[in-house]
Amino acid sequence: MAMRDLVTGGAACAVPGSSSSSNPMGALANALLGSSSKTQERLREIPTSATLPSDGNAFVGTGEPLSVLPGSEFDHPPHPNAQGSAFLQGFRSADQNGLADVWDEIHQPQQIPYGNEAANFPSERPGLQPDMNGPPQRVLSSFLHSFVNSSHGGIPFRPAPLPVLGLSEGDKQCIRDRSSIMARHFFADKSDDFINAQVNALLSSLEIDNDVRARGPMHGRYRELEEYWNESQSMRPPIPNAADGWVTEFAHHHPVGLSDPGNWVQSFEQEHGTNGWASEFEREQSQLSSLDRMRGGVMPDMAAMEQSRMLAHTLAQNNDPKFQNSKFFQFVSKMSRGELSIEDNQFKASSSTAGDWATEYQHQYGSGGQTWADQFVHEELSKGPDGWANEFAAERGQIELVNDEWVNEFSKLHVNDWAEEFGQQVAEGAFGDSSADNWASAYDEFVNEQTALKQRSERGVYEFSDLNPYVGHPNPMKEGQELFRKGLLSEAVLALEAEVLKNPENAEGWRLLGIAHAENDDDQQAIAAMMRAQGADPTNLEVLLALGVSHTNELEQAAALKYLYSWLRHHPKYGTVVPPDQPENLYYGDVATYFNDAARMSPDDADVHIVLGVLYNLSREYDKAIESFQTALKLKPRDYSLWNKLGATQANSVQSADAILAYQQALDLKPNYVRAWANMGISYANQGMYEDSIRYYVRALAMNPKADNAWQYLRISLSCASRNDMLEACDARNLDILQKEFPL
Amino acid sequence: MTVFKVPFNGYSVKFSPFYESQLAVATAQNFGILGNGRLHVLQLSPAPKSNQPITEIASFDTADGVYDCCWSESHDSLIIAAVADGSLKLYDLSLPPTANPIRSLQEHTREVHAVDFNVVRKDSFLSSSWDDTVKLWTVDRPASVRTFKEHAYCVYSAAWNPRHADVFASASGDCTARIWDIREPGSTMILPAHEFEILSCDWNKYDDCIIATASVDKSIKVWDVRNFRVPVAVLNGHGYAVRKVKFSPHRASVIASCSYDMTVCLWDYMVEDALIGRYDHHTEFAVGVDMSVLVDGLLASTGWDELVYVWQHGMDPRAP
Repeated sequence: MAMRDLVTGGAACAVPGSSSSSNPMGALANALLGSSSKTQERLREIPTSATLPSDGNAFVGTGEPLSVLPGSEFDHPPHPNAQGSAFLQGFRSADQNGLADVWDEIHQPQQIPYGNEAANFPSERPGLQPDMNGPPQRVLSSFLHSFVNSSHGGIPFRPAPLPVLGLSEGDKQCIRDRSSIMARHFFADKSDDFINAQVNALLSSLEIDNDVRARGPMHGRYRELEEYWNESQSMRPPIPNAADGWVTEFAHHHPVGLSDPGNWVQSFEQEHGTNGWASEFEREQSQLSSLDRMRGGVMPDMAAMEQSRMLAHTLAQNNDPKFQNSKFFQFVSKMSRGELSIEDNQFKASSSTAGDWATEYQHQYGSGGQTWADQFVHEELSKGPDGWANEFAAERGQIELVNDEWVNEFSKLHVNDWAEEFGQQVAEGAFGDSSADNWASAYDEFVNEQTALKQRSERGVYEFSDLNPYVGHPNPMKEGQELFRKGLLSEAVLALEAEVLKNPENAEGWRLLGIAHAENDDDQQAIAAMMRAQGADPTNLEVLLALGVSHTNELEQAAALKYLYSWLRHHPKYGTVVPPDQPENLYYGDVATYFNDAARMSPDDADVHIVLGVLYNLSREYDKAIESFQTALKLKPRDYSLWNKLGATQANSVQSADAILAYQQALDLKPNYVRAWANMGISYANQGMYEDSIRYYVRALAMNPKADNAWQYLRISLSCASRNDMLEACDARNLDILQKEFPL
Repeated sequence: MTVFKVPFNGYSVKFSPFYESQLAVATAQNFGILGNGRLHVLQLSPAPKSNQPITEIASFDTADGVYDCCWSESHDSLIIAAVADGSLKLYDLSLPPTANPIRSLQEHTREVHAVDFNVVRKDSFLSSSWDDTVKLWTVDRPASVRTFKEHAYCVYSAAWNPRHADVFASASGDCTARIWDIREPGSTMILPAHEFEILSCDWNKYDDCIIATASVDKSIKVWDVRNFRVPVAVLNGHGYAVRKVKFSPHRASVIASCSYDMTVCLWDYMVEDALIGRYDHHTEFAVGVDMSVLVDGLLASTGWDELVYVWQHGMDPRAP
């Protein structure tokens, strides 16, 4: 019966030796406060060893004489190294000479002369980790448990809001690295995206930023190709205020247009700016409530809360580009900020807009808000968790009375629209209605919705520049081609715009315009232009190829296959390779086969190899893709865009160092290739060389200040490099300052 | 029933090559993701119906999870622990706890995932690490003798050839297994054994040309290194990644394995219905399995359910 308990892991034995159970909150505080200094004092908490030599067994030898073992060891237990090494000599096996000879033949730089070895020994300090048997350990343990268990059913891991656990940087690194590696073992059947979503969910709930350089065994992330065309939907005005990190970060994570009801926060904040304390407030709010749930109403420790507030602040300043890839993060981050919450197993949108009115208040009254908020938080904490909500409401009422103007102003801003829309979503069940089981479907819905919105707003209309000096130019096409050749891309764009305004059916004009935009790192315009080019000339091979590439970048396999297939079908040489009637659904394998056939037909056609490279990117076979691009480069060594493609592929297959070489080739051929400059920056950032990445971003931006993506990357790199002093210049898009600070 | 509860999640279990009743268990807190570790040395009771079938002789705490352990082949009291902080720690059971660990070897820059003692040249051992390297050590040297760096991703295990003292195999997340001769500068053979990460490998104890690899693709493959284009056998049956694979010390064609599907399986790769035993006694991932060299058919396993089981093949591990 006792054994049954053991097997089933009864609660009592889950955490044996649970310490300081009389004051669990104190233990939490200890864990929080002590987490950063994992030092020797921990040694006292756990005995170094728990030997039970009572039966005498442990000290019995085999009979092999360990004569070198001096009994005096008992006299100097703390530094057993000298004795240890002497002792170890006894372990040398009989054939030691033969082995030593063999190995001595092998050149061994790190081999240490035998006599000195004691001095070279690292002294053993078994500094144990905090004895996390208190509540944080229990929470963390069950949390990790649910993460691990989520692999059984292959269901999306659903994290709940957690109290701050006070994890040190090292702890976070461990969790991040190990869970990433292990997740690939657990979720063997699942896609890379699923695995990343699971890990991201885990990390973000533990408030650990995911690492750009987190390693995967064979599938790199689609970082750079994705970035080519991504985020093109939202052309926003610059953020007016120097906002605190997370707001921008959040904004970066939501590159979708205003039409997305989920993005109200972003638009609201971008328009009005904030210092982010509101988010902290919400964080605390959720922490408070989860603490309440956990502790059953035990008064939270003031120091612990203060610590968590600081930690939250630190975390809030973290800008991590990796999260841009995680739709799940958006979902989770909504949750963690209290926009969505679970109550009685129901998934609800938070009814209170506390964070937002607070933000608005803050905006109106400047830095006073911060103090007010702190005071507010402190007061509330001291009054106990039960009363805080009431008081909060009361204070809110008061403030509303006092500050009628801002309330009015607030309501003028159509915030109700989003609230209603959001409410409708919830009412319609878009986020699941009744039980926690619906989380998974809610997540799916969320993703679908995001995707749908993305696709809807994506196929943009081409936007012409306002003032175009080339309108009225006698031959803007020729002028545009000339400027393009000279590498004056922004000027070329204007000239070509003038051309297509004059001759809207000029496919070549549109195509060149699209290429100019692409090289200038302006993807929305590039796509729009290419679509127009295709409209004018549906069989233009270069246009079809460009669209195939762009859809590959967008990870839209079906569309990409369609264009690449069309390329083949309309190609005078390879038209025969494909069946004459285009099948309804194209399969990747078929298309790859056709192109491989084509490559066999004429192995010297660089274009076929380029398309093959693109196709392999689609299937994430980066090694093959790199091979194809390299073959193509042998045939077309001066094609700078090909070097760029090679670089992007190498970057995707986690070979950022090689990628830099490829980008360098592209830039040697075409010094004004903005995209390659920006990609260079991305590759440096991926390698953690943020200072270098900044220089390249600045260079790219100096050539095309309209490259919005590059501004965002720059901001991220500035944050990562702890150059917050330059964020203002970045937000103001002040290139003079940035160029002076970061010359290349 | 022979079961022992450990406080942390089990990671590995190894029978002593000297005493049929002793085994070492590597454990880690929080699934090895974060927290401390502990190395247990357990003693099986000689009496079959004892009240305490397993007792603990000693345990050693570490500041990070212990992912693997192995017994010295030359000294009955020496155990090496592979620790997640990248260190290897040597423990001597014959010394008092305050004198342990007798040595800490800190060279790997990432988690050490496995350690294997050379059964021919009995003073040397191998460590495999998530820093993509395998390191060769001897018990009497403070630094590694050699570092083998060719794998492109985590090395999850390395196993000495049972006959040739200089030959070993390594299994890596880069989807290859490699065969090495330590007298050569690089690996002598690269075996692209699986399409997914390879988590474990082991040599046949009776045929020095046969190795088995276990992969995240749920399969175990048996290879003849003289003709590695086609596997000798593919053993399917696990429902999740296969975490460890181990050839029987007693029967040439018998293999034990454990998996994230929570089962321990026994296979005979020479027969058509290769699966000859399946034990689903663990309630979490089964990550450690071993077969006793001294007692034919005696198995031990551990898993993330914090339990260590010892049983005879054919019996129910949970039987009272």
